[in-house]
Amino acid sequence: MSWTWFHRFGSPPHVYRLARRLTPWFAWPAALLILAGLYGGLVLAPPDYQQGDGFRMIYVHVPTAYLSIMIYTIMGVAAAVGLIWRMKVAHAVAASCAPIGASFTVAALATGSLFGKPMWGTYWAWDPRLTSELLLLFLYLGYLGLRSAFDDLQRADRASALLAVVGLVDVPIVHFSVVWWNSLHQGSSLLRLGGPTIYSPAMLAPLLMMICGFTLYFVAILLMRLRGEVLRRERAASWVKEALAT
Amino acid sequence: MTGLMHFLAMGGYARYLWPCYGITFAVVFLNIYWARRLNARARSEAKRRLAMREKLVLEEEEA
Repeated sequence: MSWTWFHRFGSPPHVYRLARRLTPWFAWPAALLILAGLYGGLVLAPPDYQQGDGFRMIYVHVPTAYLSIMIYTIMGVAAAVGLIWRMKVAHAVAASCAPIGASFTVAALATGSLFGKPMWGTYWAWDPRLTSELLLLFLYLGYLGLRSAFDDLQRADRASALLAVVGLVDVPIVHFSVVWWNSLHQGSSLLRLGGPTIYSPAMLAPLLMMICGFTLYFVAILLMRLRGEVLRRERAASWVKEALAT
Repeated sequence: MTGLMHFLAMGGYARYLWPCYGITFAVVFLNIYWARRLNARARSEAKRRLAMREKLVLEEEEA
Protein backbone atom coordinates (compact mmCIF):
# COMPACT_ATOMS: atom_id res chain seq x y z
CA MET A 1 0.00 0.00 0.00
CA SER A 2 1.23 3.43 -0.87
CA TRP A 3 1.53 5.87 2.00
CA THR A 4 1.93 8.97 -0.15
CA TRP A 5 -1.66 10.12 0.55
CA PHE A 6 -0.93 9.94 4.25
CA HIS A 7 2.16 12.12 3.85
CA ARG A 8 0.25 14.57 1.66
CA PHE A 9 -2.35 14.99 4.37
CA GLY A 10 0.45 15.54 6.82
CA SER A 11 1.89 18.35 4.71
CA PRO A 12 0.74 21.75 6.04
CA PRO A 13 0.96 23.72 2.74
CA HIS A 14 -1.05 21.04 0.97
CA VAL A 15 -3.68 21.00 3.72
CA TYR A 16 -3.84 24.81 3.83
CA ARG A 17 -4.49 25.09 0.11
CA LEU A 18 -6.88 22.14 0.02
CA ALA A 19 -8.88 23.52 2.97
CA ARG A 20 -9.22 26.84 1.23
CA ARG A 21 -10.36 25.29 -2.04
CA LEU A 22 -12.83 22.88 -0.46
CA THR A 23 -14.60 25.22 1.99
CA PRO A 24 -17.24 26.63 -0.44
CA TRP A 25 -18.01 23.11 -1.71
CA PHE A 26 -19.22 22.24 1.78
CA ALA A 27 -20.60 25.63 2.85
CA TRP A 28 -23.09 26.21 0.02
CA PRO A 29 -24.71 22.75 -0.02
CA ALA A 30 -24.89 23.03 3.79
CA ALA A 31 -26.77 26.34 3.58
CA LEU A 32 -29.18 24.95 0.97
CA LEU A 33 -29.86 21.74 2.91
CA ILE A 34 -30.42 23.60 6.17
CA LEU A 35 -32.83 26.07 4.52
CA ALA A 36 -34.74 23.23 2.84
CA GLY A 37 -34.77 21.28 6.11
CA LEU A 38 -36.10 24.31 8.01
CA TYR A 39 -38.91 24.79 5.52
CA GLY A 40 -39.75 21.10 5.54
CA GLY A 41 -39.58 20.82 9.32
CA LEU A 42 -41.37 24.00 10.31
CA VAL A 43 -43.91 24.30 7.50
CA LEU A 44 -44.43 21.09 5.52
CA ALA A 45 -44.18 18.36 8.18
CA PRO A 46 -47.52 17.53 9.86
CA PRO A 47 -47.83 17.93 13.67
CA ASP A 48 -46.96 14.82 15.66
CA TYR A 49 -49.89 12.80 17.00
CA GLN A 50 -48.48 12.91 20.55
CA GLN A 51 -46.25 15.97 20.75
CA GLY A 52 -48.18 18.28 18.39
CA ASP A 53 -46.07 21.10 16.95
CA GLY A 54 -43.60 20.74 19.82
CA PHE A 55 -41.99 17.80 18.05
CA ARG A 56 -40.50 20.27 15.54
CA MET A 57 -37.77 20.91 18.09
CA ILE A 58 -36.15 17.66 16.93
CA TYR A 59 -35.07 19.43 13.73
CA VAL A 60 -32.51 21.40 15.71
CA HIS A 61 -32.08 19.19 18.77
CA VAL A 62 -31.11 16.01 16.91
CA PRO A 63 -28.55 17.64 14.56
CA THR A 64 -26.86 19.57 17.39
CA ALA A 65 -26.75 16.52 19.67
CA TYR A 66 -25.45 14.33 16.84
CA LEU A 67 -22.75 16.90 15.98
CA SER A 68 -21.66 17.06 19.62
CA ILE A 69 -20.67 13.37 19.68
CA MET A 70 -19.60 13.13 16.04
CA ILE A 71 -17.19 16.06 16.46
CA TYR A 72 -15.80 14.55 19.68
CA THR A 73 -15.12 11.28 17.87
CA ILE A 74 -13.23 13.08 15.09
CA MET A 75 -11.34 15.13 17.69
CA GLY A 76 -10.35 12.02 19.67
CA VAL A 77 -9.23 10.08 16.60
CA ALA A 78 -7.27 13.08 15.22
CA ALA A 79 -5.63 13.55 18.63
CA ALA A 80 -4.64 9.86 18.66
CA VAL A 81 -3.15 10.12 15.15
CA GLY A 82 -1.28 13.24 16.28
CA LEU A 83 0.11 11.45 19.32
CA ILE A 84 1.08 8.23 17.54
CA TRP A 85 2.52 9.64 14.30
CA ARG A 86 3.50 13.06 15.69
CA MET A 87 1.55 14.68 12.91
CA LYS A 88 1.14 18.44 13.31
CA VAL A 89 -1.86 18.60 10.99
CA ALA A 90 -3.72 15.96 13.04
CA HIS A 91 -3.22 18.04 16.19
CA ALA A 92 -4.45 21.08 14.25
CA VAL A 93 -7.60 19.14 13.28
CA ALA A 94 -8.23 18.16 16.92
CA ALA A 95 -7.69 21.72 18.11
CA SER A 96 -10.06 23.02 15.40
CA CYS A 97 -12.79 20.57 16.43
CA ALA A 98 -12.88 21.49 20.13
CA PRO A 99 -14.58 24.92 20.12
CA ILE A 100 -17.07 23.83 17.46
CA GLY A 101 -17.93 20.67 19.40
CA ALA A 102 -18.18 22.48 22.72
CA SER A 103 -20.58 25.07 21.29
CA PHE A 104 -22.79 22.38 19.75
CA THR A 105 -22.82 20.46 23.03
CA VAL A 106 -24.11 23.61 24.73
CA ALA A 107 -26.75 23.89 21.96
CA ALA A 108 -27.72 20.21 22.35
CA LEU A 109 -28.11 20.58 26.13
CA ALA A 110 -30.04 23.87 25.83
CA THR A 111 -32.39 22.67 23.08
CA GLY A 112 -32.87 19.38 24.94
CA SER A 113 -33.72 21.26 28.09
CA LEU A 114 -36.31 23.39 26.23
CA PHE A 115 -37.68 20.20 24.65
CA GLY A 116 -37.82 18.47 28.03
CA LYS A 117 -39.90 21.08 29.82
CA PRO A 118 -43.16 20.67 27.85
CA MET A 119 -42.66 16.92 27.19
CA TRP A 120 -41.34 15.66 30.54
CA GLY A 121 -42.32 18.56 32.79
CA THR A 122 -38.74 19.43 33.69
CA TYR A 123 -35.80 21.31 32.17
CA TRP A 124 -33.27 18.94 33.66
CA ALA A 125 -33.05 15.45 35.16
CA TRP A 126 -29.98 13.46 36.23
CA ASP A 127 -30.76 10.94 33.56
CA PRO A 128 -28.02 8.78 31.95
CA ARG A 129 -28.34 10.45 28.54
CA LEU A 130 -28.37 13.98 29.93
CA THR A 131 -25.60 13.33 32.44
CA SER A 132 -23.26 11.70 29.90
CA GLU A 133 -23.88 14.60 27.50
CA LEU A 134 -23.02 17.06 30.29
CA LEU A 135 -19.83 15.06 30.90
CA LEU A 136 -19.07 15.48 27.19
CA LEU A 137 -19.29 19.27 27.62
CA PHE A 138 -16.85 19.06 30.55
CA LEU A 139 -14.47 16.99 28.40
CA TYR A 140 -14.53 19.65 25.69
CA LEU A 141 -14.04 22.42 28.25
CA GLY A 142 -11.24 20.46 29.93
CA TYR A 143 -9.55 20.01 26.57
CA LEU A 144 -9.80 23.74 25.78
CA GLY A 145 -8.71 24.72 29.29
CA LEU A 146 -5.72 22.39 29.18
CA ARG A 147 -4.63 23.81 25.81
CA SER A 148 -4.78 27.37 27.06
CA ALA A 149 -2.64 26.43 30.08
CA PHE A 150 0.44 25.96 27.86
CA ASP A 151 2.31 28.69 26.03
CA ASP A 152 4.08 26.19 23.85
CA LEU A 153 1.77 24.86 21.11
CA GLN A 154 3.51 21.49 20.81
CA ARG A 155 3.19 20.77 24.51
CA ALA A 156 -0.42 21.96 24.47
CA ASP A 157 -1.11 19.62 21.53
CA ARG A 158 0.33 16.57 23.26
CA ALA A 159 -1.19 17.12 26.70
CA SER A 160 -4.66 17.93 25.40
CA ALA A 161 -4.55 15.05 22.92
CA LEU A 162 -4.17 12.60 25.80
CA LEU A 163 -7.31 13.97 27.45
CA ALA A 164 -9.21 13.85 24.14
CA VAL A 165 -8.28 10.19 23.61
CA VAL A 166 -9.25 9.13 27.15
CA GLY A 167 -12.52 11.05 26.84
CA LEU A 168 -13.50 8.95 23.80
CA VAL A 169 -14.92 6.46 26.33
CA ASP A 170 -17.86 8.83 26.85
CA VAL A 171 -18.98 8.74 23.20
CA PRO A 172 -20.53 5.22 23.21
CA ILE A 173 -21.94 5.95 26.67
CA VAL A 174 -23.83 8.96 25.33
CA HIS A 175 -25.04 7.05 22.29
CA PHE A 176 -26.11 3.83 24.01
CA SER A 177 -27.27 5.36 27.31
CA VAL A 178 -30.88 5.16 26.17
CA VAL A 179 -30.47 1.45 25.40
CA TRP A 180 -28.38 0.38 28.41
CA TRP A 181 -30.37 2.12 31.15
CA ASN A 182 -33.94 3.11 31.81
CA SER A 183 -33.92 6.66 30.60
CA LEU A 184 -36.39 9.50 30.58
CA HIS A 185 -34.95 10.34 27.18
CA GLN A 186 -36.63 8.57 24.30
CA GLY A 187 -34.72 5.92 22.40
CA SER A 188 -32.89 6.55 19.16
CA SER A 189 -35.33 7.23 16.31
CA LEU A 190 -32.90 6.84 13.42
CA LEU A 191 -29.85 4.70 14.20
CA ARG A 192 -31.50 1.64 15.64
CA LEU A 193 -32.00 -2.02 14.85
CA GLY A 194 -35.13 -2.47 12.76
CA GLY A 195 -34.91 0.93 11.08
CA PRO A 196 -36.12 4.40 12.00
CA THR A 197 -39.26 4.86 14.11
CA ILE A 198 -40.26 8.01 12.25
CA TYR A 199 -42.36 6.59 9.45
CA SER A 200 -43.77 9.70 7.80
CA PRO A 201 -41.49 10.80 4.94
CA ALA A 202 -42.70 14.39 5.45
CA MET A 203 -41.29 14.22 9.00
CA LEU A 204 -38.21 12.13 8.27
CA ALA A 205 -36.90 13.91 5.15
CA PRO A 206 -36.41 17.34 6.81
CA LEU A 207 -34.60 15.66 9.71
CA LEU A 208 -32.21 13.88 7.35
CA MET A 209 -31.67 17.15 5.44
CA MET A 210 -30.87 18.99 8.67
CA ILE A 211 -28.46 16.26 9.78
CA CYS A 212 -26.67 16.25 6.39
CA GLY A 213 -26.72 20.07 6.27
CA PHE A 214 -25.22 20.41 9.75
CA THR A 215 -22.57 17.80 8.93
CA LEU A 216 -21.49 19.70 5.81
CA TYR A 217 -21.61 22.96 7.77
CA PHE A 218 -19.30 21.43 10.39
CA VAL A 219 -16.81 20.35 7.71
CA ALA A 220 -16.82 23.88 6.26
CA ILE A 221 -16.16 25.46 9.67
CA LEU A 222 -13.52 22.82 10.44
CA LEU A 223 -11.71 23.63 7.16
CA MET A 224 -11.86 27.36 7.93
CA ARG A 225 -10.44 26.88 11.43
CA LEU A 226 -7.88 24.38 10.18
CA ARG A 227 -6.29 27.03 7.97
CA GLY A 228 -5.80 29.28 10.95
CA GLU A 229 -4.49 26.45 13.12
CA VAL A 230 -2.02 25.27 10.45
CA LEU A 231 -0.77 28.83 9.97
CA ARG A 232 -0.23 29.22 13.71
CA ARG A 233 1.96 26.12 13.74
CA GLU A 234 3.95 27.04 10.65
CA ARG A 235 4.93 30.61 11.22
CA ALA A 236 8.51 30.25 10.11
CA ALA A 237 7.97 28.06 7.05
CA SER A 238 8.71 29.49 3.63
CA TRP A 239 5.36 28.47 2.12
CA VAL A 240 3.59 30.81 4.52
CA LYS A 241 4.80 33.81 2.51
CA GLU A 242 3.20 32.41 -0.63
CA ALA A 243 0.01 31.51 1.20
CA LEU A 244 -0.32 34.98 2.66
CA ALA A 245 0.20 36.66 -0.70
CA THR A 246 -3.14 35.29 -1.97
CA MET B 1 -52.14 37.52 9.14
CA THR B 2 -53.91 34.87 11.18
CA GLY B 3 -52.01 32.27 9.20
CA LEU B 4 -48.71 33.81 10.31
CA MET B 5 -49.91 34.13 13.92
CA HIS B 6 -50.99 30.51 13.84
CA PHE B 7 -47.56 29.50 12.52
CA LEU B 8 -45.72 31.56 15.15
CA ALA B 9 -47.86 30.14 17.96
CA MET B 10 -46.67 26.60 17.08
CA GLY B 11 -49.68 25.00 18.73
CA GLY B 12 -48.78 26.53 22.09
CA TYR B 13 -45.13 25.45 22.01
CA ALA B 14 -43.80 28.83 20.81
CA ARG B 15 -42.08 29.72 24.09
CA TYR B 16 -39.99 26.54 23.94
CA LEU B 17 -39.62 26.06 20.22
CA TRP B 18 -38.43 29.50 19.10
CA PRO B 19 -35.71 29.81 21.76
CA CYS B 20 -34.61 26.32 20.68
CA TYR B 21 -34.13 27.51 17.10
CA GLY B 22 -32.66 30.81 18.29
CA ILE B 23 -29.94 29.12 20.36
CA THR B 24 -29.04 26.72 17.56
CA PHE B 25 -28.66 29.42 14.93
CA ALA B 26 -26.82 31.70 17.33
CA VAL B 27 -24.26 28.87 17.68
CA VAL B 28 -24.19 28.38 13.90
CA PHE B 29 -23.38 32.07 13.25
CA LEU B 30 -21.01 32.37 16.21
CA ASN B 31 -18.92 29.53 14.81
CA ILE B 32 -18.64 31.30 11.46
CA TYR B 33 -17.58 34.49 13.26
CA TRP B 34 -15.05 32.65 15.49
CA ALA B 35 -13.51 30.80 12.55
CA ARG B 36 -13.10 34.04 10.58
CA ARG B 37 -11.58 35.78 13.58
CA LEU B 38 -9.13 32.91 14.16
CA ASN B 39 -8.06 33.05 10.51
CA ALA B 40 -7.66 36.82 10.49
CA ARG B 41 -5.53 36.69 13.66
CA ALA B 42 -3.37 33.82 12.41
CA ARG B 43 -2.77 35.66 9.14
CA SER B 44 -1.88 38.99 10.72
CA GLU B 45 0.43 37.29 13.21
CA ALA B 46 2.13 35.30 10.44
CA LYS B 47 2.55 38.51 8.43
CA ARG B 48 4.08 40.28 11.42
CA ARG B 49 6.56 37.44 11.94
CA LEU B 50 7.50 37.38 8.28
CA ALA B 51 8.12 41.14 8.31
CA MET B 52 10.24 40.80 11.44
CA ARG B 53 12.30 38.03 9.90
CA GLU B 54 12.87 39.99 6.70
CA LYS B 55 13.95 43.00 8.73
CA LEU B 56 16.45 40.87 10.64
CA VAL B 57 17.88 39.45 7.41
CA LEU B 58 18.24 42.98 5.97
CA GLU B 59 19.98 44.20 9.12
CA GLU B 60 22.39 41.25 9.02
CA GLU B 61 23.22 41.96 5.39
CA GLU B 62 23.89 45.59 6.16
CA ALA B 63 26.13 44.78 9.15
